[in-house]
Parts: sequence; structure tokens; C-alpha cells
Amino acid sequence: MRRFRIIIRSLIALILFGVLHYTLPQHDVVRVVNTYQERQDLDDWTRIFWSKPDDQSAGLINRDVQFVQTVKKKTYLLGFIRTDAEEVMVYRNEDTGWSWPFYFKFDTASLQTEVDDLRSTAEEPKWAVITHYGWRNELISVFPNAVGIRPVAGPDVTIIPWFNIAFFLFLAVAVGFARALWVQFRQRSIDPALEDASEAWDAVDARADEAKGRVSRWLGTWRKKK
Amino acid sequence: MGFLRLIIFGFIGLSIIYVLVSLYSRSVRLEKLEEQWAEEHPNGNESDREAWLREGMEDYQKSFRPKLILLVYVVPALLVLLSIILIN
Repeated sequence: MRRFRIIIRSLIALILFGVLHYTLPQHDVVRVVNTYQERQDLDDWTRIFWSKPDDQSAGLINRDVQFVQTVKKKTYLLGFIRTDAEEVMVYRNEDTGWSWPFYFKFDTASLQTEVDDLRSTAEEPKWAVITHYGWRNELISVFPNAVGIRPVAGPDVTIIPWFNIAFFLFLAVAVGFARALWVQFRQRSIDPALEDASEAWDAVDARADEAKGRVSRWLGTWRKKK
Repeated sequence: MGFLRLIIFGFIGLSIIYVLVSLYSRSVRLEKLEEQWAEEHPNGNESDREAWLREGMEDYQKSFRPKLILLVYVVPALLVLLSIILIN
């Protein structure tokens, strides 16, 4: 029973972590190499990793998506450990519209223009910080969605994730409040009701204990005397 | 349509929060009033207590504090507006 509870709890924690890791914004230091547009098929289960920019897009089985090809500075541990090594990263650039995740991004075309403006070569790099959410998976062709880009002087820029700080502060407050609400509800509404029930239960329990005592005493008469 | 869906479901979700928060706030106020009564009238009679509590809760309903809970609707709407401005 205890092991079962541990498994369920870690599963919930894992799912929660996954959802937050997918949804919350992250920042990458990148150099834009190129942009392109490609028709994507949307009629299998990987549809969940593409946006629904507007209502008609929900019914389409394929549509053109804009992409941003970059070389980015490698990071580890949710971006906290940054290295000088480089890797390639391809982002998609899609509106999120009014639906989940709630970025309310409508400026795909403008963002694509900004990105194009920042294109550079390895010899003469122009570094930029790209804000994105989502995951990259080469096996099933999943791309993170870029939501913003800003040019920076060099690759060692300090990035403070203001939104995530505020989000987790808010989450802590919300959890604390939900707890207070539950405690208040239990004290004022459930406990008084339970008190009556528990008195009745105690009587039943006492009678059961008595019966059990009689049975075990009888069993004891069959044991070997020492 | 997407906008409408967001508004409808957002309104439902926020209404649930609104109801929960106002129930909580009322319950906390009632508890405080009960404690105050117990302190000031260690052996007051029951019907006086009931009347006093009812009056206290009516004052609370009329006061500004319960109206502050309407911020539950206002703040998320402002946040949505802010993020539309910041992202685009």
C-alpha cells in the first residue's frame, strides 16, 4: 500500500514537472542561421505538439509552418548550467492564439521578420536570446515554439527568468491559500459532523474489541503450554 | 470562437474560485466574531449570541471587503491584457 502510494505520487509529480517544463518559457542564446517554411502533416497523434492558431486550423490535416534554424549555446539542468559548446536547434514559429498554452501570441509574421533580420554567419555572429516553450524531439519531429527574440551584445548575457520567478511565487501563494481554505472547511464543516459519527463508531469498535478478545483467548487454549 | 471559448471557460473557472474564496472569507469572519463573543461574554445567553453574530455578518456583507473578492475576475483579465501587449 505504501509502495503504491509512492508510485502514484511520483507519477503525479513527473506529469506536473513535464507539463510545467513544456509550458513555461525558457531562454536560449542563439545565432540565427536561416528560416524556412514547410508544409506539415497534422493528422496523427503528434498533432498535440502543433498549435491551433485559429479555428479553421483545428480541422486542417496539413498546413504551412514557419521554422527558425539556429546554432545555440548548449545548457544543462534546465538552463542553469551554461557551456561554451554549441548545438543546432530548430524552432517552429506559430501563433498560439487564444488557446493553450496561454501565450496569446499573434505576431508570427512579425517575429519571423525580426528573426530574418538577425541572420548571421559563423564568422560574423550576431547573438540573440530567443524565448520559447516546448520540446525538441527529432524522432517524432517535435519543435519548440519561439515566442520572442531580442538581440544581445555577446553570448555571455545574464538572463533572469522574471516570468518563471513570478509564476512559482504565485503558485506557492495559491497552494498555501488552498491549504488554508481546506483547513478552515475541515474545522468548521467536516469535523463537527464527524464528531457525532465517531461517537457511534467508538461504541461499535469497543464491542468488536471485546469479541476479538474472546476469540483469541479461546485460540490460546489450543497453544502449547510452556 | 477561440476567444469566446476562453472567456466562457475562464469565467466558469474564476467563478468557482470566487465562490470558494467568498465562502472562506465569510467563514473566517464568523469564526472571529464567535471568538470575540466568547471573550467579551463568557456566559452570555445563546439567543443574544445568535443575534449578535447575525448582525456582525450583515455588517460584513455590507462592508467593502467582500467586494475586494471581485478582484478574482479583474486581475486575470488584466494579466491577459498585459501578456498580449508584452508578447506581441
